[in-house]
Amino acid sequence: MKFLLSSFFILFFATLPLLADDSLVEPKLFAALGMTKSQKASPIPTDSGVFLYDTVNERWRRFGPTIQQVNSLSTDPSNPENIFLACGNGIVRSQDNGKTWRMVTGWRESDITKIVIDPSNGKNVYAASAWGVTISRDGGDSWSAANEGLVEKFSNSIVVDHLNPKRLLVATTAGLFVSYDSAETWEQIPTTPKIAILGLGRNKADPNIWIAGTEGNGVILSSDNGKTWQSTAPGLSTANIYGVTTDPFNGENLAAGGWGTGIWISTDGGKSWKNRGKELPSQNITATTFDYAQSGRLWASTFEEGTFYSDDMGVTWRSDDVVVPGATGSILGAYVNDLGFISVKK
Amino acid sequence: MPFFPVLFHRRLVALLAILLAQPVFSAVQPSPGASLSDEEIIRQYKERCEYILNQTIETTDPNDLSTGSLFQVAVNLHKGTNIEWARKRLVFDNQPPSGNMFWVLPMVLLMQVAKDIEEETGQSLLTNDDWAFIRTLWRTYFPYRGDTENHWIMYYVSLYLAAEMFPEDGPERWYNGKSSAENMAEAREYIEDWIKITTSYGQGEYDSPNYIGEYTRPMALLAGWANDPVLRQKGKMMMDYLLLDFAVENLNGIYGGAHSRVYPRYLVQPSLTASAAHGWLFFNQGEYLANSSNILIALSGYTPPPILLRIAQDRDNPYIHRELKRTRWRLRNVGETAFEIDGKSTIPVYKYSYVHQDYILGSSQGGLLQPIQQQTWSLIWYEPKPAGISNTMFGIQPYSSPFEGTMYFGENWDTVTDLISRSKVDYDSEDKLEGGSPYEQIFQHKAALIALYDIPEGTRFPLIHTFFSRDLKNREENASGWIFAQGGPAYIAYRPLAPGEWKPVDWTGLLKSGAGNYFSATLSPTSGFEPLAGGSESYVSYELQNGYIVQIASVKDYDSYEDFKNAVVALPLEFSLTPTPSVTFTDLEGTELSAQYGKAPSINGKEVDYSTWKLFDGPFAQAEKESESLEMIYGQERYFLDFKNARIETSILPTK
Repeated sequence: MKFLLSSFFILFFATLPLLADDSLVEPKLFAALGMTKSQKASPIPTDSGVFLYDTVNERWRRFGPTIQQVNSLSTDPSNPENIFLACGNGIVRSQDNGKTWRMVTGWRESDITKIVIDPSNGKNVYAASAWGVTISRDGGDSWSAANEGLVEKFSNSIVVDHLNPKRLLVATTAGLFVSYDSAETWEQIPTTPKIAILGLGRNKADPNIWIAGTEGNGVILSSDNGKTWQSTAPGLSTANIYGVTTDPFNGENLAAGGWGTGIWISTDGGKSWKNRGKELPSQNITATTFDYAQSGRLWASTFEEGTFYSDDMGVTWRSDDVVVPGATGSILGAYVNDLGFISVKK
Repeated sequence: MPFFPVLFHRRLVALLAILLAQPVFSAVQPSPGASLSDEEIIRQYKERCEYILNQTIETTDPNDLSTGSLFQVAVNLHKGTNIEWARKRLVFDNQPPSGNMFWVLPMVLLMQVAKDIEEETGQSLLTNDDWAFIRTLWRTYFPYRGDTENHWIMYYVSLYLAAEMFPEDGPERWYNGKSSAENMAEAREYIEDWIKITTSYGQGEYDSPNYIGEYTRPMALLAGWANDPVLRQKGKMMMDYLLLDFAVENLNGIYGGAHSRVYPRYLVQPSLTASAAHGWLFFNQGEYLANSSNILIALSGYTPPPILLRIAQDRDNPYIHRELKRTRWRLRNVGETAFEIDGKSTIPVYKYSYVHQDYILGSSQGGLLQPIQQQTWSLIWYEPKPAGISNTMFGIQPYSSPFEGTMYFGENWDTVTDLISRSKVDYDSEDKLEGGSPYEQIFQHKAALIALYDIPEGTRFPLIHTFFSRDLKNREENASGWIFAQGGPAYIAYRPLAPGEWKPVDWTGLLKSGAGNYFSATLSPTSGFEPLAGGSESYVSYELQNGYIVQIASVKDYDSYEDFKNAVVALPLEFSLTPTPSVTFTDLEGTELSAQYGKAPSINGKEVDYSTWKLFDGPFAQAEKESESLEMIYGQERYFLDFKNARIETSILPTK
């Protein structure tokens, strides 16, 4: 544990030079919304967009433009004023901490599922999408496809190795692929199943630990920095797992959730797993994340039945998922596509 | 009062036009066929346009701000009527704006119309505050581009034309943070790409009786208002192209054949479709139907080439018409026959229609060609007044699956069916009337059609069913195994290959309950389930290896119904259902048709070669794959669309 915590702080301080003045930024929980359950008899999504969690008032607040089908978002580690939204329409960027926004992609880019930014060079931006990987070398001003080596293009997630930023992993519908040349070329990671990978994450405390959720094969885990992968959580071995997360304060803590599974938690690095969250109003989990500001807190979004957190590793759950008076929307009843943390300017 | 003289004049003209037009259009028009001159065809078309505009004015209630589409606002601005209502309605309807790609298009229309009038008269219909309000909307409302082909073309055409009106505006004036020049460049590139793909490989959302308007509206916008001469010309040419696509499979204003997308209400009542509204406007067939696309087209000034009406009306000689289309882009599970266009996967759709003056029998090859709303084959028969008549027949294997959902949508496996069913409520219902199936194969030759099904165990809905309209006459089950019926001037023979049973259409009650707003649960004659679909039945069979044969004939080709039945019963027929369904059937013309599930069919022993299929291949239309062109032919008249050069050629062919 001591080692893990020290690793975390070493990494934290190691990346500090890359960041803007750290005293000016803070981690913020975000929820990226596709729609809410109030949508009936219409192809047009209802409430959607991005909500940020206000920890002081314990409320969700809308952030950024009211834009439909937002799948995820990300901020530039070296300049948190640069914010990227991954949307059905493409990529929307703010360079002034959310004051103004611009759709930076054209008609060729759409259905963006995830965005990551090179922590060593904010000009390199990588996006996973239903049409493959698209990359920018100029901070998002222009984009091009980067699918060489991919067997199938549909990609649900992408992660940049912050210790080796030329290395990226992408979660496609044909398995996990790795690039060692900043997404110029891709190759399949041999030990992973050749099926759809739905979610992908890496531990901040112990960067050797990677976790992925699959379509039909449960959870897979790597403890050697993503080189080899093994199946874990036998109770989920046939499940579709949409949310996977690892605790940034403790690499032994893992969580996963999928359709009909509720939340499963491991506190021993994946050796054993427990099913938690049976009292949640729905066992259909669409996203989950450990808290980056409050140690031990775990968040989970259920399919249109609310977003909850637990401070006791899933034994009890609480929700602040209520309508904000005067706000243009809420995440009550939302289909949360992604739940995670971004660094934002204080 | 600066508008008074204009208003007075316009109202007077409108009133006169209504009075003059009313008797002409209150009844079904006889088909003038080829005898009318070009000038007369165009004159009558313009009369119908004027009628549409006048009808739209007539239905405007200037005392009611809560109703009236933006299309209606545009017409009132154009006509100089109800200006105060129009101005207020514009504001009221945008509190707040909604509809995304369905918002941008009518907004651009009314902006263009207002600008036209202002340029024409030198007087402002909209105040500076109105224009400021409009500009604020374009800055603050972030419309979704959507996820279908029609969404995108509406979005980009509208964006192009909106930006073209304010060419100098910077990124701060637009919702997406792009300048007018950037928006125009992006939109233009997409529009040109869509035209190129459509005229090279076929539309993905092909031949939709419901969605035809979602394409003619943006193309008419371009044709009517694009300042750029090339885009304006291409908009006109694509209008011609889309209408030809309809005209060759048109029967008295009804769109026949296989379709990419149709809603249940319109499946059972083809005369209610947007294409039927277009049939009246462009081909002078059927009856007037209020339709927003027709409103926009009437305002645009687009004039179809007279050859279109001639092709649409001439049914003197039956003909085979083939088309090559493609599926919507496939994201996953693309299949072995998939090919890529510019990095996106699709598979070919082979359409075949037999067009007869009494009926159209048309089909595609089967399979998952479109998500949700595919009509794989259909029969329509001629009705002189089709309104209220269910003059159609079709069959389906009611398939729903995340496999199909994730093939075409980016949603997750576990949510995709639910999300589809929120807007297409019958998608996951066994008695649904539309949709493709991976276990369905269709083969057609002229008036005969063979459908084969090989449904695996465990399929969600292990059945097939065929729609038998309440408007069929003399339906009977013959001891030979054939089911016979008569639809208008067409005899129908249907031979199930496995036993079935009769059920009322919508036997689960989903649609008649009003679910999905396709049918009203009330007895409204225009929207109630009973008036529109009540009384029709489905022939349902639960055998997994299954199939049927359909043979159509014109009533006039037989001395009696008995003669037809006897002729069909005497036709050679061999079939087996195991291990996979196969049929060898000799049709009424003596042609031997063979089909085996999973294999290419054959005609008189010769395998059908789909690889040579053209984009259009019939007596009235020819287009090679990847040609970016279309040739229309009517007698000696030739009308050629050359999209590569944005050029139209007209010529008179030498006498044969």
